[in-house]
Amino acid sequence: MDLSLTESQQLLKQSVEDFIEREAPRDTLVELQQTERGFNDTIWKTAAETGWLGMLIPEQYGGGGAEFTDAAVVYEALGHAPMPGPMFSSGVLSAQIIQHVGSEEQRQRHLPAIASGEVICTFALTEPEYRWGLHGVRMRPREDGEHYVLDGAKLFVYDAHAADYVITAVRTGDGEDDIGLLMVDTKTPGISTRRLGGFTSSESEVIFQNARVPKSALLGRPGGVRNALDRALMNATPLLCAYQVGGAQAVFDLSVKYSRERVQFGRPIGRFQFVQNHIVQLVNHLDAARWTTYEALWKLDSGREATVSVHLAKAVTSEGYREACDYAHEVHAGTGVMREYGLTLFTRLSRSLYHALGEPRYHRKRLADLVATIAVD
Amino acid sequence: MDFAPSYTPEQEAFRSEVRAWLSEHMPKTGGDLDSDENYRKFRQLGRDLGKRGWLRPTAPKQYGGGGLDVASAIVLYEEMDAYGLPIPPYYDSGGWLGGASILVWGTEEQKQRLLPPIFTGDVVTWQLLTGPEAGSDLAGTKTDARRDGDEYVINGEKIYVGGSHGADQFWTITRTNPDGDRHKNLSWFMIPANLPGITVRPMELLGDGGEGIGAGVKNTVYFDNVRVPAANLVGGENNGWQVASTHLELEHGSGGSVGRNRWFTRALRWANEQQRDGRPLIEDPEARDRLVDIFVLTEISRLFGLRNFWMNRTHQPMTYEGPQSSYFRKLSGLKITEALHSLFGPYALTHDERWDFSEGTLDAYQRSAIVALHPGGTADIQKVIMARRIGMGREERESAGKTVE
Repeated sequence: MDLSLTESQQLLKQSVEDFIEREAPRDTLVELQQTERGFNDTIWKTAAETGWLGMLIPEQYGGGGAEFTDAAVVYEALGHAPMPGPMFSSGVLSAQIIQHVGSEEQRQRHLPAIASGEVICTFALTEPEYRWGLHGVRMRPREDGEHYVLDGAKLFVYDAHAADYVITAVRTGDGEDDIGLLMVDTKTPGISTRRLGGFTSSESEVIFQNARVPKSALLGRPGGVRNALDRALMNATPLLCAYQVGGAQAVFDLSVKYSRERVQFGRPIGRFQFVQNHIVQLVNHLDAARWTTYEALWKLDSGREATVSVHLAKAVTSEGYREACDYAHEVHAGTGVMREYGLTLFTRLSRSLYHALGEPRYHRKRLADLVATIAVD
Repeated sequence: MDFAPSYTPEQEAFRSEVRAWLSEHMPKTGGDLDSDENYRKFRQLGRDLGKRGWLRPTAPKQYGGGGLDVASAIVLYEEMDAYGLPIPPYYDSGGWLGGASILVWGTEEQKQRLLPPIFTGDVVTWQLLTGPEAGSDLAGTKTDARRDGDEYVINGEKIYVGGSHGADQFWTITRTNPDGDRHKNLSWFMIPANLPGITVRPMELLGDGGEGIGAGVKNTVYFDNVRVPAANLVGGENNGWQVASTHLELEHGSGGSVGRNRWFTRALRWANEQQRDGRPLIEDPEARDRLVDIFVLTEISRLFGLRNFWMNRTHQPMTYEGPQSSYFRKLSGLKITEALHSLFGPYALTHDERWDFSEGTLDAYQRSAIVALHPGGTADIQKVIMARRIGMGREERESAGKTVE
C-alpha cells in the first residue's frame, strides 16, 4: 500500500504548475474565459509539445503511453488552474474512443494527429429529447452509396466549436447494440457548430443538415461498438474527475486563504464557526472526490475491474465539485462573485462538468443496476 | 499509488499460520455476543493471542507487543475480520489508547511495568475522560488529584465510561493545580480498578456507543479519596494535557483503519432475502437507490480510514485527517440509519423475536448511530479541530498530537 505520488509524478505535477504560473495565471484565464474560443494557441501548443495532450495515447501512435494515474496528476494540475481548452475532449476522450473502437488503420491515421495537437476531436452523444447514455442515441443516418447522410442535432457537445472532428454516435439499427460512431469532419457541408451561451463552459450544439459523411468514417465495425465504447468511457471518466478534483482543491485553497485575510468584526472571518463549517464541508467533498477518483485510477492501472469505482468516482466528484464551489461562495460572499477574483471560473466549470459524461444521477443509476453484483470482501 | 496492501512470501506464510491457529483456537459462541459467557470466551482468546504478540501486533516486542510490520498486522486484522471480530475481540480501547500514550510519555520503568499486561491481554483497561462538568471541554475537568506523600488522592466523577463486563484498570485525566493555567494544570494517571473509594455504576443510555463488540452499557465511575501511587503518574505532574494529546489524536481517528462498515453488505443480503409487495425487495428500483446511498457513504468512509491508516503507519505528517474521518463517520452513520429505515421501514426499529430478521442489529444501529455522535469528541468538536489544523482564520496551523515516539 502506498498512497503517495511517485517522484516522477511529483515532477510532472510541478512542471504543469510552473507552466501555469508562467503562462496562464488566474487573471489571464479570467480574460480568456471571455473570448469566443475560450483558450489560446500558446496553451494548446504547450499542451501538445510537452506531451500532456497525448500522454495516454500509446507510444506507437505518437503518444506518451503513460499510466492513468500519471495523466491524472497532470489533469488535476490543469483543473487547479483551471486551464481551459479541449485537452480532455481530444487527448483523452476522443483518443480513448478511437483507440478502443477504431480499426488499426484508423488508430494510425488519427491518434498521432491528436497527440501532436494538429487535430482537435470531440465526442457527441446527447440529443435534444434524451439524456446521457446510449439509449438516447436516436439519430439514424440514411445510406446513400458510399456515404451516410446525417440529419439532426447533437447537444451539449464539449469543445465542438473548436473541433476538426466530432465523433458522432448514431443508430445503425433497432437493436440495443446497433450503435455506430462516425468520425465526422466539421468542415463537411451541412454541418454547423455553435457554442451555447450561459453558465456553461464549452458546451456546443452540432447541427447536421443533409450532411454527407463517407462510410469510411465509421469507427470499427457496425454492431461491435458498445463494449469498446464502454471501455473507452470507463478509461476516460476518471481523468475528467481528476480535473474536477484539481478545481475543488483550488477553491479550498482560495477559501482558506480568504478566511485568513478577510477581517470583519475585528477578526479574520475564519475564526467564525459558521465560516469554519463551510470549509469543513468543502474539504470533506474535496477529499471524498480525490480518493474515490484515485482509487478508480489505481484499479485501471493495475488491471482490476474498475466499473463500480468509476461510476462511484464520477458521482461523488461531480457532486463534490459543485458543493465545494457552493461552500466557497458562502465563505467569499460578495468577493466571490466579482469576475476578476476568479472563483467563478471554477463555479462555472463545477456546473458545466456536473453533467459531462453523465450527471451524478446517471452514475448512481448505473451503480443501482450493478448493486446486486457488488461483492465487498 | 497502490490501494491494496502487498504481501511478501513471508507475510503470506504468516497468513497461513494465523489462519490455522485461529481455526484451532476460535471459541464456539452463540446467542447474544455480549453475554457474560461469550465475553469469557473472547477474553480467553485475547490472552491466547496476547501470548503470541498478536493482540497488539505492531507494539514493541520488549513490552509484550508483536513487533510486527504493518502488512503482517493487516494480515492479522483481516483473518480475525473473517470471523467478524476486531482485535482485541472485546472492548479494550482504553488499552489501545492508554498503551500508545504510555509508549510516548511513560518512563522506561513505567513502560516495563504498565505495558506488558495491556499488550498481552492480561488486563482490560477503560479510559475515563468525560465528566459531568467537562465533556467537550475536557481540560475543564473538576476531578482533582492532590499529592500526599508517595500518593495522589483523587476525588471526582467520570461518565460515559467502559462497557458491560468491568475492567482491571482505568486511566484518567485529573486537575492537579486548580489555580494553574488552563492546559497546564492537569495530570494523567493509571489507576487499578480495585482501589478503595472507587464505585462503578451503570448508566441508562439509548444504546451502546457503537464502539465494537462488548461495548455494551456505559458507566459512571466515582472517586472518593482514592489513593493512587505517584509512580502511576505518566508524563509528569501538570503535563497531562500533553499526554492526552496522544490518545485524543488517535481517538479522533488519525490511526485509520483497513476495514469497512458492514452495513452495505448486510443491507444487500436482507434486500435479497426479504419479500415486499410480492417480490424480493432488491427488485424495487427505489430500494436499489437506497443501497447505493449506503454504498457511497461507506466507500468514502472506508477511503478516509484507509488514507489515515497509511499516513499514520508510514509517519506522514497529519493535520485534519483524523477528525475529518471521525466527523464523516459520525454523520454518515446517521444518514445510513435513515437509508436503512427507508429500505426496511418499521422492521428497522424492532428487535422482536418473531419479526426481526437482523438479529437485533438494525434496532441497535438506529440507536447507536445517535449515541456515536459523542464518543471521542462530538461531531462539532471534530470540526473545531479541523478548523485549527487547516488554519482557518489563522496563519499558524495547529499540529496533530504525537502518536508515536
